[in-house]
Amino acid sequence: MSTQTDKKFTGNPREPVPVPLSRANELDIRQVLDSEGNVNGNISDPNLSEEEMRKFYEMMMLVRAIDDRGWKLQRSGRIAFWIPILGQEAVQVAVTCALDDHDWIFRAHRELAVWLLRGNSLEMMFAQFYGAEQEPLRGRRLPCLIGSRDINLISSTTQVGASLPHAVGAAWAAKLKGGKEKVLIFFGDGSASRGEFHSAMNFAGIHQPPVIMVCVNNGWAVTTPLDRQTAVDNFASKGDSYGVRNVRVDGNDPLALYTVTKDAHDNIEKYGPTLIEAVTFRLGYHTSSDNPDLYRHEQECELWRPWDPIRRTRLYMENKGWWDQSKEDALITLHQDEIQTAVTSAEAMDIPGPASQFDDVFAETNWMLEEQKARILSEVSEGSSDD
Amino acid sequence: MTKMTVLEALNAAMAHELEHDPDVVLLGEDIGIAGGIFRTTQGLQNRFGKDRVIDTPLDEKGIAAHAVGMALYGMKPVVEIQFSGFIHDCIEQVMFCGAKYRWVLGGEYSVPMTIRAPSFGGIMGGIWHSHSPESYFAHGSGIKIIAPNTPQDAYSMLIAAIRDPDPVLVLEPVPLYRTLRGEVDVDLPVPEIGKAEIKRPGADVTALVYGPLTHKTVEVAESLSKEKNIDVEVIDLKSLIPFDIDTIISSVEKTGKLVIIHEASQTMGFGAEIAASVQSKAFGYLEAPIDRVCAPDVPHSYRVGDEFYIPNKDRIRAGIIKTMEAVY
Repeated sequence: MSTQTDKKFTGNPREPVPVPLSRANELDIRQVLDSEGNVNGNISDPNLSEEEMRKFYEMMMLVRAIDDRGWKLQRSGRIAFWIPILGQEAVQVAVTCALDDHDWIFRAHRELAVWLLRGNSLEMMFAQFYGAEQEPLRGRRLPCLIGSRDINLISSTTQVGASLPHAVGAAWAAKLKGGKEKVLIFFGDGSASRGEFHSAMNFAGIHQPPVIMVCVNNGWAVTTPLDRQTAVDNFASKGDSYGVRNVRVDGNDPLALYTVTKDAHDNIEKYGPTLIEAVTFRLGYHTSSDNPDLYRHEQECELWRPWDPIRRTRLYMENKGWWDQSKEDALITLHQDEIQTAVTSAEAMDIPGPASQFDDVFAETNWMLEEQKARILSEVSEGSSDD
Repeated sequence: MTKMTVLEALNAAMAHELEHDPDVVLLGEDIGIAGGIFRTTQGLQNRFGKDRVIDTPLDEKGIAAHAVGMALYGMKPVVEIQFSGFIHDCIEQVMFCGAKYRWVLGGEYSVPMTIRAPSFGGIMGGIWHSHSPESYFAHGSGIKIIAPNTPQDAYSMLIAAIRDPDPVLVLEPVPLYRTLRGEVDVDLPVPEIGKAEIKRPGADVTALVYGPLTHKTVEVAESLSKEKNIDVEVIDLKSLIPFDIDTIISSVEKTGKLVIIHEASQTMGFGAEIAASVQSKAFGYLEAPIDRVCAPDVPHSYRVGDEFYIPNKDRIRAGIIKTMEAVY
């Protein structure tokens, strides 16, 4: 995992700010675990079973291993782009596990775990990274933006935050049509500055649809820190302005995340919508096109390392006697093998041909598209001649 | 057959769809009790309830965006934007979310939403109440654009839009809302989006138009026939995306001359696309340069915009005569 974070300071970053998770009570952040994995927080341990905790832990580990491999695939030129997850594994795993499988999830950019937790394959996930014709989005979206109707996972709009009202609208429609589904959306701290955040919160407050909005506050919107994103010290309280219930939670504490999300989900008829602010930290780059050396001091990452969600969860499980080094070693080997199989499978898949980009513009094509398609197909060979 | 104004026809179309399809909902500012500022939805909230005819906050982008989400889930939202001069805040949501979701989600979802945009000038409304927004929406993909200008088309084409599985932008003819009354046959089949209509057959020159200017253009054609013996074929385009290339090309092959008339400003106006298409498909038939009679590239003035910004009958007439005289 060192590849994303071993860097020398080259820019002019601000002074590191203390980790808010170390002041959870003062900052009204729901927390179960301290930095050493002890149950020492301000809400009680949900006492998940060993099996459930292993599922959490193994999925966080798998996501970290995928992240590491994806980064290397991008750096070695095999895929065009990567969106790192390092440090944010807990939110996507614990939140997804608190929902029912029929609930809709609108993604932000980093939630790869949903795909696997809902039973889709690692092979097809890597197929998406490679832009294969066989994957559900047909190679149209950048690597990491996976989604599929069969698991009710909607790929993100790249205009961050633009899909917030889509989640509220879908939940509203479910309510009007008497559907059982609830809707959850992940979005980032930067997205909260967009007009759609206001629109979504405003409509959600008025119409009370079954929606949960999870602000994954990772401290940085590309290069912009929180104090340049908003003048207040948290995102949850913005819900008060709209009549939307809100809660802050330790975004690196899967037990607290699970508790808070499950409560919002199971009591949605009583609570209405909930805005959850999950306080976490992006240890890695924003994307493979980023360079944190220019704006962030490595010391800030060092402050967050004890709060790493995987470390804390492992300590918790070791304290319970559920985990040890031999299990850890076996898991790492297993994941490496599974990922290698998926990479090999994805590299053997087809890339989309030029005609497929004309599909799905409309339900039925029209003469304008057909004419453009016929011309392109008559003028190009399969594969670009510009290579 | 019933006589209706354009406004009554739009209202009847929405009432019909609300009655027959439980997935149809209307959203907009002030559309409930008052029936919208134009009264297009008058009476519908009383009849269908506040969950089907929904008064929204004053937030055009938010209205469009929530409709996208509702449509993704499987409803058929019909959005009213109060004036199309206010629609530009919705461009990202309509064009880069709603109109793209089918494609970006691999064809697994559709967004069957309708955006009703009261458009065009003629009510002394000034810049933001006299707008023709079609070009902003045409330069993209995944959305259809229609412009009905009679009570029958308003009724039939709005129903077609609501039933369409993709987003449809409906440019409604504000100046004709209450001034044009005509027969509406509610039993006619729902028309296919993408068909033009020859409003007046003619042999000498083709005048291609859409929206309220269609009626002025037919009047000009009648007077040119009597006064100058020029036989103008007037085509009402009715649908911009997709547009009916076959009807246009057949006409140009017959007349050899084309004048395109619209009230959106000239540069990058929809006429440019028509002209480019026609010259590539019927170059050998053209006997004169294709002309465009459009608004200038300036904003619409409150006091004189309706007279001099929107092409008036003098300008339409001049454009047709100029084209007739320009024959090679």
